[in-house]
Amino acid sequence: MMKTFKMYLEFTRKSFQRSAAYRVDSWSRIIGNIMSLGIWGCIWFALYHGHDSVENISFQSMLSYILISMALQGIHNAGTPLWEIQYRVRTGDIAFEMLRPYDYPLRMLFTDLGSISFHFVTAILPLYIVIFALFQPDIPLSASQWGLFILSAALGYLIRYSLELTFGLFTFWLIETGGVEDVFYFSISLFSGSVVPLWFFPDWLERLASLLPFQGIYFIPNAIFIGELSGQEIWPALLNQVIWLIICYGLLRFVWNKASMKIVVQGG
Amino acid sequence: MSLIEVRHLCKEFKIAKRQEGLTGALRSLFHRQYTTKIAVNDISFSIGTGEMVGYIGPNGAGKSTTIKMLTGILVPSSGEIRVNGLIPYKERRRNARQIGVVFGQRTQLWWDLPTIESFELLKQIFQIPPDRYRQNMALFNEILDLDEFLQTPVRQLSLGQRMRADIAAALLHDPKILFLDEPTIGLDVVAKERMRSFIREINKNRGVTVILTTHDMSDIEKLCQRMILIDKGQVMYDGELTKIKETFGKTRILIVDFEENIDDFSLDGVEVIKQEGNRRWLKFNREVHTASQLISQISEKYEIKDISIQDPEIEVLIRNIYEHNYTLDQVFTDKTRI
Repeated sequence: MMKTFKMYLEFTRKSFQRSAAYRVDSWSRIIGNIMSLGIWGCIWFALYHGHDSVENISFQSMLSYILISMALQGIHNAGTPLWEIQYRVRTGDIAFEMLRPYDYPLRMLFTDLGSISFHFVTAILPLYIVIFALFQPDIPLSASQWGLFILSAALGYLIRYSLELTFGLFTFWLIETGGVEDVFYFSISLFSGSVVPLWFFPDWLERLASLLPFQGIYFIPNAIFIGELSGQEIWPALLNQVIWLIICYGLLRFVWNKASMKIVVQGG
Repeated sequence: MSLIEVRHLCKEFKIAKRQEGLTGALRSLFHRQYTTKIAVNDISFSIGTGEMVGYIGPNGAGKSTTIKMLTGILVPSSGEIRVNGLIPYKERRRNARQIGVVFGQRTQLWWDLPTIESFELLKQIFQIPPDRYRQNMALFNEILDLDEFLQTPVRQLSLGQRMRADIAAALLHDPKILFLDEPTIGLDVVAKERMRSFIREINKNRGVTVILTTHDMSDIEKLCQRMILIDKGQVMYDGELTKIKETFGKTRILIVDFEENIDDFSLDGVEVIKQEGNRRWLKFNREVHTASQLISQISEKYEIKDISIQDPEIEVLIRNIYEHNYTLDQVFTDKTRI
């Protein structure tokens, strides 16, 4: 058990090292992240123009929401399971993953954790310390709020990971997955509350979003971070995340089992 | 029971038919037509421990497909495979521990990291005891000279170096069986020779069973006692290499250097297959004519400067089999050993 864990952890280490070999990539991601932060900051500033609060959400809260959301997105974007599995299926390198005594989805997760931690330590963390110092957004006020936020963010990450890898696995059937990808990224950017919190949605859309797994990715952790979700309200939100994680992970296992029996190796 | 048992193995692929033109493309969005390609068609063989078997055939014959089923990557359409008692695709992880695989056209090493890092990772993946790891690395190093590039990122290695690293990587966990899919493809003569001697060493001294596919017949000649020849997904010959030479190699080639250029050379029972300056390559059937007969006949008519006789090369033999579609059933009485 311990040995198995050590083995997976080795992938985290190797992928951390590999990320270090590609610093330019890290910087370009950071620039992209700052740009979208700038754009969404401006959009929300314009939307709030002349109003102290909209639907009981102050501009200060909204700014905090978008800042923490962008920080989380910066972290998520360092892991690329969808892109990676597509690449492997297209090139046929997926064959080697079948020749290893490990579980591929799990090893991918640990590999992603490596590039994510590299990206977090070298880019996201220093960048957002500066930004938070500049804009003074609302941050968690207690250790328990921090703890719940981190727990919720981790659950959100795992939900997104399971969903993204599941979508990536459709490559086994489709080879070209441009359309599937678009559906996935569109759903994530809209329903997760990545840039527009769910409480600004029209009622019908909010109801729809609350029935989907995506809100657990950014919306719930963001809301906990800025204190919009607090006290007793946090528990059902976390429970929602846990249930969705179980469902999404189950779906991932199911699709993986099907996919690995259907493998076609490209290029001989 | 043999180490590897293959019984009536078949693999079919469904390929979506592409329809021509824009309307065709649109139509195929809604209604796809598939054609079925049979890559492997009822193949059976068994391989014993410690054997070194050449698995050969032309492009698209089904070699790689078979290897991929034996390693557990692909799921057979029908038929049975047992590798050391395991059904590869059902027990992928357990099977992975007992086999090593090299695909000549791919690498299992981490592209962006120094080569040694991939070895270290494999050590963790297969949980190789530190002592064993050290011993293996020392041995591989001795034959393959890994030291010279262990610190170099894999993407900067030459093809020869990368192949050396890849085969070492495949053997690090002491597999019982080694599958080599075109292990010498694209390598120069020196690098090829190095690979071969390493494969031989592993087979002889460690008793690793080796199955290799190749297009290079000298790989087969230098490495394998046994050869399984397949074409169009079927076994055409399974047996000793020397036997195929004996039975099939009725052809001899006489190379004659004439004193002067001869335009109208002809001789009964002899076919000119090549000419270069005053040199002619003459093909004859050794059961009909003897070389000495021919030489005396030729020397009666022409001035001969030099003469030599060539044995049939295995490559030529195999080309004959494919091109003329000889059914080997007729040629070999012991077509298969099963």
